[in-house]
Amino acid sequence: MRIKVGQDMATGLLFAIIGIGALFIGWDYPMGQWTRPGTGVLPAILSGLLVLTGTVLIVKSLASGDSEITGINWMPLALVSFAVVLFGLLIDTTVLNFGIFTVRVPGLGLWLTMAISMTVCALAIRETQWKEYAIFLVFMMVMAWAVFICALGMPINACPTFAECQVCWLVNTPVRKIYEALLWVVR
Amino acid sequence: MEDFFTNLGLGFSVAFTLKNLFWCFMGALIGTAIGVLPGVGPVATMALLLPVTYYLSPEGALIMLAGIYYGAQYGGSTTAILVNLPGEASSVATALDGYQMARQGRAGPALAICAIGSFIAGTIATCLIVLAAPPLTAMAQQFTPAAFFSLMVLGLVLAIVMASGSLLKAVGMILLGMLLGLIGTDVNTGNTRFTFGISDLFDGIGFVIVAMGVFGMAEIVGNIGNTERRDLLSSKVSHLYPTRDDMKRSSGPILRGTLLGSLLGVLPGAAATLSSFASYALEKRLSGVPAKFGTGMIEGVAGPESANNAAAQTSFIPMLTLGIPASPVMAMMIGGMMIHGIQPGPQVMQQKPALFWGLIVSMWLGNLMLLVLNLPLIGIWVKLLMVPYRLLAIAILFFCCIGVYSLNNLATEVHFMAFFGVLGYIFVKLRCEAAPLLLGFLLGPLMEVYMRRAMLLSRGDPYVFIDWNNQKLSLGFLIVSLVVVVVLVLLPNMRKAREVAFKEE
Repeated sequence: MRIKVGQDMATGLLFAIIGIGALFIGWDYPMGQWTRPGTGVLPAILSGLLVLTGTVLIVKSLASGDSEITGINWMPLALVSFAVVLFGLLIDTTVLNFGIFTVRVPGLGLWLTMAISMTVCALAIRETQWKEYAIFLVFMMVMAWAVFICALGMPINACPTFAECQVCWLVNTPVRKIYEALLWVVR
Repeated sequence: MEDFFTNLGLGFSVAFTLKNLFWCFMGALIGTAIGVLPGVGPVATMALLLPVTYYLSPEGALIMLAGIYYGAQYGGSTTAILVNLPGEASSVATALDGYQMARQGRAGPALAICAIGSFIAGTIATCLIVLAAPPLTAMAQQFTPAAFFSLMVLGLVLAIVMASGSLLKAVGMILLGMLLGLIGTDVNTGNTRFTFGISDLFDGIGFVIVAMGVFGMAEIVGNIGNTERRDLLSSKVSHLYPTRDDMKRSSGPILRGTLLGSLLGVLPGAAATLSSFASYALEKRLSGVPAKFGTGMIEGVAGPESANNAAAQTSFIPMLTLGIPASPVMAMMIGGMMIHGIQPGPQVMQQKPALFWGLIVSMWLGNLMLLVLNLPLIGIWVKLLMVPYRLLAIAILFFCCIGVYSLNNLATEVHFMAFFGVLGYIFVKLRCEAAPLLLGFLLGPLMEVYMRRAMLLSRGDPYVFIDWNNQKLSLGFLIVSLVVVVVLVLLPNMRKAREVAFKEE
């Protein structure tokens, strides 16, 4: 008999594997006493129940059939996730620790980060019209800068961290002052 | 009764300052603008805008959040009616008849009835909260840890009932959510759990990160692979105001929906969804022509929208009096309170009366803003809907990234979101609903705290949860949970009824 991995089967497997993994990791957590249930009590109960739920799902899928998993958008999934990971990596200087060696990724600042990660996302979309996208990107960059850096004062740079340009700061300050004046009027 | 007016008066004096009015207005406006975007419901909208409220006063922040919530909900209904793409489960019922009305060129009245129904429901529910909050808070202070624990068990059981699709999957999702919620440092013992040695996990995973990944990112991935399936009926929003006949037909559903929603809203679990479906089913049954439902009956829009809004309002009750997040939206409100160092719970009403009553009045105010501002602005929202999804998707993704990053300025959290995005997409493909996961994630750690307290107080006797003499409330909650489970599992008829109720989607 050939077993097809359908929706219920896959869900059951996912639950069971995560549950077993959590049981395994949580094995050493102290259980405490009845009066003071320790760190390990709830993880053990929950992962045990999760394994049970997963098993029931697997059995059920074998017994009463399953519906197929269809239409996975592999490319969009990969590209969108990659775009998000890139955003996190590039927005500010990060140090990646691989155990034996470390890699220092310089922060590219808001603008370049946006341009790169949004373009990766745009690659995932079949309907992207690149001319339109370029205008849209510039609009988004200006807007994000005005809202997040000027108005809300998020502690990130618009330009790459290594560029050390002062232009942004020169423009930032008056915009920020206008925003503060507006706030003051409202108050 | 005297208290009723002093409390309301205090609330109005807070909410009607120029500053707070402004924040309420901004919240409603921005909330609608983002909520209108297809696939972005109130939770995602609030998650996006939560960091913004950090810069305001506590009152201003909560008032703005409430405004965002109502705005986003109204925006979601707009999308449900015009594009047939409900942003969240509670507007699914609205889309059934609302979209059909729009196809017949009656989008205007459908949208107007949404706003009017919501406003009436909001007004009545606000009065109910003002009346019910003080006695309920007094009662909440009598709650023992065991009772809190059992109430949350009931909440999770109800969340399973409310989830569409397989029961087993919902159970698994709740368990998984609770496990995810345990990640980080155990507050009682200081041990870390499931952190894999990653220091950024020691504080646990932020709720916003999970929500944005599972809802926001997964939604984008699911949508952009498919070809444009939107069928916008914007050109047909010509006349806005409902006819006298519409009003007459809607008045009953609005009132019944309000009542139903107010009652169901107090329950923990996804109450807004349940109440909108329940109201739809009720109107269908009461109507003389049930067969015509689904073909553009205004009753089918008025009832669920009012119920959903009333439930949204009264679901503040468990949050404000007990500090329990009954829904992801309430978790956002609690998140907003925590940012400002306010621990939600029964003490808020006594310690911060201005904030408490100001918030309640501003909820009503938020509804009023929708009525007087958003209805005339409907043209702008329709224009927003015309922005093609190929651009919207990119913008939404960017806002998710920067929203998560701005929480703590941690790049790792953006990466966690990517992880949850992939996980969320897997869940979509496996037909596992994400809402129970989120509720488990919220309630899991809270349940552990109360379980420990209860066990400590009872000196290690687990009987404390079902003690008839001292723990009537706890026993009661557990019995109700058990009854619900038994009814669902053992009575095949009930299970079928539940499946039918969700089939109507």
